[in-house]
Amino acid sequence: MAGPTSAAHVLALLDEDEDSLKLYALQQLDRSVHDFWFQISSSIAAIEALYEDEEFSHRELAALVASKVFYHLGDLDDALSYALGAGSLFDVASTSEYVQTILARCIDTYVGQRVQQAEGGEASLDPRLVAIVERLFERCYTDGQYEQAVGIALESRRLDQLERAVSSSQEPERTLKYALGVSQKLVVSREFRNQVLRLVVRLYEAVPQPDHAAICQCLMFLDDADEVATILFRLLGGSDDEALMAYQIAFDLVDAELQAFMIKVTTKLDALAPKPAAAPAAPAAPVEGVEGMDTDQAAPAEGAPAAPAEPAAPAAIAEADLSPFEKRLALFKSVLSGVVSIELERQFLARHNHADLQILKNIRATVEPRNSVCHSATVFANSLMHCGTTVDAFLRENLDWLKKATNWAKFSATAGLGVIHRGNVGKSRTIMAPYLPSAPGGSTPSAYSEGGALYALGLIHTSHGAGVRQLLLESLRGSQHEVIQHGACLGLGIAALGTEDEEAFEDVKNVLYMDNAVAGEAAGLSLGLLYAGSGTDKAAELLAYAHETQHEKIIRGVAVGLALVHYGREEAAEGMIEQMTRELDPILRYGGMFVTGLAYCGTSNNAAIQRLLHFAVSDVANDVRRAAVLNLGFVLASSPEQCPKIVSLLAESYNPHVRYGAAMAVGMACAGTGMREAVALLEPLIKDSVDFVQQGALIAMALVLVAQPEARAKPLRDHINRLYGSKTSEVMTRMGAVMAAGILDAGGRNVTLGLRAGSGHFRRTAVIGLALFTQYWYWYPLSYCISMAVQPCALIGVDASLRAPKGFQVVSDCRPSQFAYAPPVKVEDKKDKLKLPTAVLSTTARAKARAAKKKGKDAAGGGGGGDKDAAAATGTAEAMDTDKPEAADKEAAEGTTAAGEGEAAAAVEGDGKKKEKAVEEPSSYTVDNPARVAPSQRKYISFPSGQRFQPIRAAPSGFVLLKDTQPEAGEVDYLFEEEKPAAASAAAAPAAADGATAAPAAGGAAAASPAGDEPPPPEPFEYIPS
Amino acid sequence: MGKEVDMKDAPADEKAKEAEKQPVAVPEPAKPLAVLRSNLRLINNAVAQKETRTLFGRVLRQTAAVRNRLSARDVQAFLTSSLPASSSVAQQLLGALKQLADSAMDADGAAANGVAAEERDADAAAVSPPAAPLPEVEVYCYLLTIMLLIDGKQYEQAQAAAAAALAHLASFNRRTLDVLAARIYGYLSLAHERTGSLASIRSALLGLHRTAVLRHDDVGAETLLNLLLRNYLADNLYDQAERLRAKAQRPDTSRSMQQACRYLYYLGRIRAVQQEYSEAKDCLQQAARKAPTSANGFRVCVQKWLVLVRLLLGEVPDRTEFTAPDLAPHLVPYFNLTQAVRGGDLAAFSAVASAHESVFRCDRTHNLIVRLRHNVIRAGLRRTSLAYSRISLADVAAKLGLSSVTDTESIVAKAIRDGGIEGLIRHEEGTLEAARPTDMYATSEPQAAFHARIAFCMDVHNEAVKAMRYGAGGGAVKEFEDATALRERQEEELLAALEEMEEDD
Repeated sequence: MAGPTSAAHVLALLDEDEDSLKLYALQQLDRSVHDFWFQISSSIAAIEALYEDEEFSHRELAALVASKVFYHLGDLDDALSYALGAGSLFDVASTSEYVQTILARCIDTYVGQRVQQAEGGEASLDPRLVAIVERLFERCYTDGQYEQAVGIALESRRLDQLERAVSSSQEPERTLKYALGVSQKLVVSREFRNQVLRLVVRLYEAVPQPDHAAICQCLMFLDDADEVATILFRLLGGSDDEALMAYQIAFDLVDAELQAFMIKVTTKLDALAPKPAAAPAAPAAPVEGVEGMDTDQAAPAEGAPAAPAEPAAPAAIAEADLSPFEKRLALFKSVLSGVVSIELERQFLARHNHADLQILKNIRATVEPRNSVCHSATVFANSLMHCGTTVDAFLRENLDWLKKATNWAKFSATAGLGVIHRGNVGKSRTIMAPYLPSAPGGSTPSAYSEGGALYALGLIHTSHGAGVRQLLLESLRGSQHEVIQHGACLGLGIAALGTEDEEAFEDVKNVLYMDNAVAGEAAGLSLGLLYAGSGTDKAAELLAYAHETQHEKIIRGVAVGLALVHYGREEAAEGMIEQMTRELDPILRYGGMFVTGLAYCGTSNNAAIQRLLHFAVSDVANDVRRAAVLNLGFVLASSPEQCPKIVSLLAESYNPHVRYGAAMAVGMACAGTGMREAVALLEPLIKDSVDFVQQGALIAMALVLVAQPEARAKPLRDHINRLYGSKTSEVMTRMGAVMAAGILDAGGRNVTLGLRAGSGHFRRTAVIGLALFTQYWYWYPLSYCISMAVQPCALIGVDASLRAPKGFQVVSDCRPSQFAYAPPVKVEDKKDKLKLPTAVLSTTARAKARAAKKKGKDAAGGGGGGDKDAAAATGTAEAMDTDKPEAADKEAAEGTTAAGEGEAAAAVEGDGKKKEKAVEEPSSYTVDNPARVAPSQRKYISFPSGQRFQPIRAAPSGFVLLKDTQPEAGEVDYLFEEEKPAAASAAAAPAAADGATAAPAAGGAAAASPAGDEPPPPEPFEYIPS
Repeated sequence: MGKEVDMKDAPADEKAKEAEKQPVAVPEPAKPLAVLRSNLRLINNAVAQKETRTLFGRVLRQTAAVRNRLSARDVQAFLTSSLPASSSVAQQLLGALKQLADSAMDADGAAANGVAAEERDADAAAVSPPAAPLPEVEVYCYLLTIMLLIDGKQYEQAQAAAAAALAHLASFNRRTLDVLAARIYGYLSLAHERTGSLASIRSALLGLHRTAVLRHDDVGAETLLNLLLRNYLADNLYDQAERLRAKAQRPDTSRSMQQACRYLYYLGRIRAVQQEYSEAKDCLQQAARKAPTSANGFRVCVQKWLVLVRLLLGEVPDRTEFTAPDLAPHLVPYFNLTQAVRGGDLAAFSAVASAHESVFRCDRTHNLIVRLRHNVIRAGLRRTSLAYSRISLADVAAKLGLSSVTDTESIVAKAIRDGGIEGLIRHEEGTLEAARPTDMYATSEPQAAFHARIAFCMDVHNEAVKAMRYGAGGGAVKEFEDATALRERQEEELLAALEEMEEDD
C-alpha cells in the first residue's frame, strides 16, 4: 500500500532495475494517482521513459499513469496522447471524470483533424484516435443516444456514421428531423451541408412515412427541381390527404420566393403529366392565365385580359369538368405560380387595413411643402403605410399637394403607387396605364413618371414578373431616355429577380455599357437582381467594367449588384470578397462589405463577422466603415439576440457613420422582433448629436418595432410626432421620423418584415429588398425596395379547393388588447402643432403661419369638394368616388375608422375598449380566418379541436391547408367570394371594350371596395374578442 | 445596538461565534426569517439573470449578518416555507435540525418563544413552497443548516449534512451554484477540522478541486485549493502542500479577496518553513494588508507568523505592531520573544520559549522559534560589536551566556564571514576588534530600499489597472443626451436674438 501521506517511497521503486518492482510501483501509482499526482508529476520523466522503453512489459500501464498525471496537471493534449498509448487499459465505458474529459478532448481533436482534412489540409489521423471515436459511436447506438451520434457525425463530417445513426434509430423520422435542424443551424461549410442534405433526403425516402415537406425543403436548398417535381407529382396522384400535403408544400415553396426554382418545378411537372391529359387542360381558358407563368410568350401576348382572370382561376378550375387528377394538377400549379397566395394576402391586407390617415394628414400639414426631402419622405410613408392594401385615398385627396413632386420626386411618387398596389398582379397594367405610353416606345407627358411607373410595375410583380417582363424589356429597348431606362432596369430586375434571364441580361448590359451614370447605376443593380444568388461568371465581367468606368454611380450600382449575385454563396463568394475588399477604390470596398454581408446572410459565420468588424474599425473611408457595420446585421440575422451585443461598442463610436451603421445593423437583424436589447441600444442613438445617426436610429427602431404590440411602439410614436413638426430638428432627422412613421404602420398595420419564412430559412427576396433599401442613403427612390421585404402577418386557412373557408377559427390565448391596433390619432393634435410655432415667430412669420393654418383647415375640412373636382378632372367614375370623401370626413370628425370596410371590426374593438374599463378582459379570444397574427402573438395561437376544418400542420402563421372533416355537412361559405363576380365583370368589361375604358374601371377596382352603385355589402367576417 | 452586532459578526472569524442566540429584547433591524426570505428572492433573481457574482455575494453577506441571531426555529420555518415537504432534502435537513431546535427550546423561555413560533407558523402557512425548488435554493438550505449545526457544535451532524450536500451538488453542473458550493466546502472542512478528521476528506477535496478546475469554477477551485493547503499544513505536510500549490492550476486573478488572503497566508507559512524568509515576509505582509479589518482571528494568526519571519530575517518589528488593541492580548508571548531577541539575551530567550511553549506548539510555530536561537546569538553579537571597539572573547561568551570560549570564537568567526558583524578576531590575544561602522548612505542600501518600495507601488498600480472594469453604461452616448437639447436651445436663442434686432429696427 502506498503511504497515507506520500508516494515518495513508491516513486523510488521506479528507479529499480527489476521489472516486477517497477510494475508494482506503477500499479500502486495508478491506484493513488488521484491523491498524489502533484508528487508523481516530479517523476513524470521516469514514467514516460518506461513507456518509451520497448522492452518494458507493461508500457501501457505506464502510459495510463502518465496520462492521468497530465490530466491532473491540466495538459489535456498530452493526457490524450498517453491515453491513446494506454490502449485497452483506457476504459472508454467508465463514467469517471478523467475518462469523460479525455473522451471529450478526443472528440474535439478528431473533429478538428477531420475538418482540416476535409478542407485540404495535411492532417494525419491517428488510427488509435479513430478507433476510440468508433467505439464511442458504438456506445451511442447501444445506449440509444442517436442524437448524440448525429451530432458527432456532423461535427466530424462522417456521413457514413450519420447514415448508420438514422438507420439504426428506432424513430428514424425524429433523428432525421434533428439531423436536418442541426445541419442547417450549425454546419458551417456549405459544401458539407449540401452533402448532408442529399443524404438526409435519401434517408427520408427510405422511411415508411416520409416527411415530404422536409424533403422538399431540403431539395429546394439543393436546387433539385426534378426531384421535387417527382415527389409532388406522386403526392398529387395519391389520396386526398396527400394532395393537401402537396398544396401545403407548394405554399411553403412559394413562401421562399425563389422564382427560378418555381419555374423549373412547373416545367418538370408539365413534362411528367401524361400528355393526353395535358392536352384538354390547355384549351380551358382560365388555366391559360395560370400557365402564363412558365410560358413566357402567352401572357404578354394576351395582355390585360389574361391577367385579371387569374384570381378567379381556382374557382373556375374547380368547376370545370376535368378528371380529379387534372383538377388537382391545375390547382396545384396555380399555387406554385404564387397567384393564390398573392391574391389571398392582398385580400387580407385590403380588408384589414388599419392605416391611420390622420397620421399622414398631420405629417402633411406640419411638413412645409417647399422642403422636398420631407415631402418625398411623406409620400414614402404613405406608400408604405398602404403597402399592398390598394388604398390610395390619401394620394387622391391631395393631388395638388402631390403635384409639388417634380423630377426624381415624381419618379419616386409614381413608384410609390406600385408599393401601394403590391401584389395586385392582375390589374397592374391598368393601374399604371395613365403613366405609361399607350404603345411601347410612345411618349408620355413626363419621362420621370414613365420611369417611375416601370419601376412600380416591377414592385407590383416582385418575384412574379412573367406578366410584365416583356413590357419592361420593350420599354427598355424602346427608349434612350436615361430616366426611363433607369426605371425599366430596376423594374425588370425586381420583377425577374433571380431568374437568370439571358435575354434580359443582354439588354440591361447594353444599357450599362452606354456609360450613362443614371441609367448605368440602375443597370448594375438590375444585373445583380437578375442573377441574384447565382454566383455567375459574369460577375468578373461586371467588376472589370466597374474598374473602367469613371462614374461613381455606376461603380456603386455594379458593386451592390455583385453583392446580390453572391447572395447566400458563403465560401463560394470568398474569392470575390477577397478581391473587392482589397480594392483601392472605396466604392468597391463598400460593395465588398455588402458581398460579405449577403454571402454570409444569416449564417453568423465567425470569419465573416471578424472581417466586417475589422473593416468597421480600420478602413479609411467612412462609407466602407458604415457598410461594414451595417452588414453585420445581415450576417447576424439568424441570431438577432447576438447583434445588439456585438455592435454595442460600435454604437458608442466617435464616428457617426459607424454609429449609423450600428443602428441599421440592429434594425435589420432584429427587424420585427421588438427585442428589448435592440430597443435599449437604439434609444440613445435616437437622441444622437448627429442628424443622420438620428435618422438611422429612427428607421431602425421602426424596423424593430413594426407589428409589435402598441404598448411597445408608443414611445417611438410619440417621439416621431415630436420630431417631424419640430422646426429645430434637422431636415435629415425629420426625414427619418417621417419614414419611420411609414415603416411602423406598414401595410395597414398588418405586415411585418419577414426576413425568414415559416420554416426558418431566409427569404431571398426580402433580404435583397432590405439591402437595396439601405441604398436610399445615396439614391432616394431605392427606399421603396423595402416593400420587397414585407410579409403579411396573417394566418390564412385554405381548404382543398384553395379557397379560404369562413367557418375556420383559431384561438389566441392572450388578452385581445395585447395585440390590438393602435387607437386612431385625435384631430386636436394637429391644431396644437400649428399653434405652437406662432408663439415663437416674428410678426411676418406669424402672418404666414395664419395663412398656412387657414389653408390647412381648408384642406382638411372642405377637402370633399376639392376632391370631387379632382376626381372629375381625372375622369374617374364619380359614382364610385362620391362616398370616398364622405368616409374621409367621417374619419376626420369622429376620429375612428367607422366607415366602409372594417366597420364591424372597429365597432367591436371599440366595445372591447369600453368593456376593458368595466369588466376584466378575457384571457383568450378566437379569431376568424384569415387571422391577423402579430409575430409576437404566434406563441399564443392554438387550433381548437372539433371544428369542421382542421389544419394538416399546426403552423401559427402563413398558409395552412385545412382538411374538411365533415364533407357531408353541406356547402361551405368561402371568404372573398362575393367580390368575385364584380371583379370578373370589371375584368370582362375592358376585355370586351377597347383599352381606353380600362382606366376608369381600374380606378374603381383599385379602391378594393366592391364596385357598383349599390351600397357596400356587409362585412363577410367579424372580429369578436371574446 | 443592532449595528454593533452586525459589525462584530461580519465574516471570517469562526472563534467569535460563541454567543448563540441572545433572546432579543430590543427591536432588531430585521428579523432573521425576513432576511432569509429576501435572500430567497435574491437567489431566484440571480438564477433568472444567470448572475454568478454580486447577487450571491450579497446573499452570503446578509446571511453572515444575521448569523448570530439565527435560531434553529427560524431555519426550520424557512425550510418548510421554501422546500416542499415531500422533498428528500427538506426531510433530511429538518431531521438534522430537530435536536438542535429542541435544545434551543429548553434553553429559551418556552413562553417567550411561543408567540414567535406562532408568528412563524403563520408566516410559513402564508407562503406555500414551490413544487420544484431551484437547486440553488436547496443548496442554500443545506448551507444554513450546516452553519447552524457548526455554531451549535454538532460537528458530526454537520459533517453528515455537508456530505449529503456534496452528493446533492455532484448531480448538477450549474455555474450559479459555484459560490454557494464553495461555502459548503469551507464548512465541510471546518466541521472535520473541529473533530480532527481532516485527513479523511483530503482525497474528496482533491477530487472536488479537479472537477472545479475542469468546469472553470474559479471560486470553487480557489476555495478548494486553500482548504487542501490548510489540510496538509494541519498535518505538517509542508512538502506535499508546496508540491500541490506549485502544480495546481490557479486562475490569473483571484475572484475572492478572502480566498486570496488565505492563499497568501498559507504560502507564507510554507515559505517560512522552507527557510525562504524574505518571500515568506512578502506573502504574509500582503495577507495582513489585504485581510478585512473585521477578520480579527485571521489577522492575529498572520501577525504571529509575520513577527517570527521578520525576527528570523534579523529585523525587529516595531513596538506599535504589538499594541493594536484587538491584537495585543493574543500577541503577548511574541512580544516577549521579540524583546528577548532584540536584547540578544539567550537566557531571557530560553525563559520566554519555555514559558510559552504550549502557546507556540498550539500555534505550530515552535520549530521556527527553535531556529530563532541562532538569531538571538547574532543579535547579541551585533550589539556587543557595536558597543565595544575591542573586547575579549571570554567577555563575549559571558555576555551571550555561552559556556565555551572556543565555541564563541567559532561563532564569532562565522558571524563575521556571513556579514552579520564586521570585525577582526585576534586569535593570539583572544579578542574581537570591531570595525568602524560604515556610513549606510555611502552604500547601495538606500537604493535597494527605494527600489523595493517602488516595485511595491508599481505592483499595486498594475494590480489596480488589471482589476479595472468598464462600467455598464457607455461613455460616448451619455454626451448625446444633452446634445439635442443644447442645439434646440441655441436655435431658440438665435430666434430670440433675431426678434430683438427686428424690434430695435
